[in-house]
Amino acid sequence: MSGLLPRLRIASKHRRPDIQLIIGGLACITILILTIGKDFFAPGDPLSGDIMDRFKPMFEGKYVLGTDQLGRDLWTRVFAGLPWSLGIACVATLIAMTVGTSAGLIAAWKPGPVRTVINRMVDTIIAFPGLVIAICIIAAIGRGFWPLAITLGVLTWPFYARVVYAEALGLMERNYVLAAQLYGVPSRWILIRHVLPGLRPTLLVMLAFHFADMLIAESALSFLGLGAPLQAPTWGNMLAESRQYLFNAPWMMLVPAAAIVVVVVTLNLIGDGIAATTRSKARAVE
Amino acid sequence: MASGFKKFGRRITAFVVFLLSVVTLLFFLLQLTGDPAEVMVGDNATPEQLEQVRQQYGFDKPLLTQYALYLSRLAVLDFGISFADDQPAFGLVMERLGPTLVLTFLSIIVTLFISIPLGAWLGQRPDANSRKFTGAFVFIAQGVPGFVVGLILIQIFSVNLRWLPSFGHEHPLNWILPTLTLASFLAPKLTRVVAANVTEALREDYIRTARSFGTSSASLLWRHALPNALLGALALVGAQFAFLISGAVITEVIFAWPGLGWLLVKATETLDFPVIQAAVFVIAILVFAVNLCTDFLFGVIDPRLRGNKK
Repeated sequence: MSGLLPRLRIASKHRRPDIQLIIGGLACITILILTIGKDFFAPGDPLSGDIMDRFKPMFEGKYVLGTDQLGRDLWTRVFAGLPWSLGIACVATLIAMTVGTSAGLIAAWKPGPVRTVINRMVDTIIAFPGLVIAICIIAAIGRGFWPLAITLGVLTWPFYARVVYAEALGLMERNYVLAAQLYGVPSRWILIRHVLPGLRPTLLVMLAFHFADMLIAESALSFLGLGAPLQAPTWGNMLAESRQYLFNAPWMMLVPAAAIVVVVVTLNLIGDGIAATTRSKARAVE
Repeated sequence: MASGFKKFGRRITAFVVFLLSVVTLLFFLLQLTGDPAEVMVGDNATPEQLEQVRQQYGFDKPLLTQYALYLSRLAVLDFGISFADDQPAFGLVMERLGPTLVLTFLSIIVTLFISIPLGAWLGQRPDANSRKFTGAFVFIAQGVPGFVVGLILIQIFSVNLRWLPSFGHEHPLNWILPTLTLASFLAPKLTRVVAANVTEALREDYIRTARSFGTSSASLLWRHALPNALLGALALVGAQFAFLISGAVITEVIFAWPGLGWLLVKATETLDFPVIQAAVFVIAILVFAVNLCTDFLFGVIDPRLRGNKK
């Protein structure tokens, strides 16, 4: 069977990564290193500070990024927010991708009522402002890591389902899928072995953008007071707190804002970069 | 035409099913919060008061009976009395609909006024150096979440320059920052879509034909390439309306804009379920109506969509 895919293999060897992907990849690795080595780079306690040192601006004394209204070091707090934000985005993305990809594949494979039901669900959920439902769910079931991650994942799977469905329909017209069918390969196996690998580039691009969206959604909900526990040092909470002190301590807003922007731009670079490389790959194939 | 009606009917059915699932979800969410009667009367209520509220709102009946009662009241748009305000929840929500619509409408206009010219300019010659630089700026702007934009705008125009107020909505000056904030949710993305569409349109054969007839490059861009690129852009605005409503929720909270979103977030703080249910209900109908209108509009603008291919 694998002999039917030589063109894709050859093309993948000649893939030339573009500049966006390189910059994004390097930034991503840096962020990961910083997250893992959090205790090394920012050893202090993000929850306590010296009240005498409150509202210290950036680069004053030992505080590189300044301090907040309780004298807590913003450098440590920004680092403390990293695993939280990345963790929620990670879990939410995984849930959405697994559910969405499965639903999309099933819809592509089974015409008739199953397809109709899945597609209708996808259309209606996408057409509704997800944040509104998320707000209601979080308000009822409470804040915290898992409620937030699961809610975000459950509300966003249709985005994957829609793309996977459209793409899988196209892939299933390919000759190698037809050949596999004639060969008597079971449909489940064809979907997993032959259709799913073809979706890889698209899924990677979606993954990067969706991850960024989840990160923004998480910080938006925390900002509204509906995400992280109120005292937790997350970027959304820090932004919400900073609103009262815009006049005396603008850095309290700028630091978490910059952190969010850096991570989101990194992910967008990766997403765009993969899209550009896979498109040029497609051009090289044809 | 008959198939048009059929299509319309199918959408209505899908929407009714959706609305039903949303209100059901909201009903069971209320049960998840614990005893709704306790939420309503507050912490320092006597057991008698608690019992009275239970009977008054039917919380002592079996769950299914409650659900049936709830649905029958929704059918006549009776969402109950707001816990916080002692007024009918539906009326409270409808009062807030206007400001949200104004904010959303204004920011769509601003988005179009920024994105179309900028996108057309960027897409005309995407490889020119000045445009590469602007393109990179738009790319980064796309990575800045709307609520961050809002805070930065307040920092610059309200705190540092003291030109514009940061909250309220009576004076038109108050409208500028919220509108710009909400516009920032969509403008960078739309700019990039317009730019990509213009670049693509400029490669088409009809452009080459027009060029060979001596059409100036400005006319090529504005008269020939842009109208085609705009279709995709308008489709994006229509499809992203739901996203804009999410953005409006955040924008309204930041600027204390008395709209649906602010009401909803406030209602979640006190678990004011009648208001939450009414607000979500109205938002659902609003989004559905807008999507239906956009589809209809596209049928008018683009003759290719009028056919019934499927």
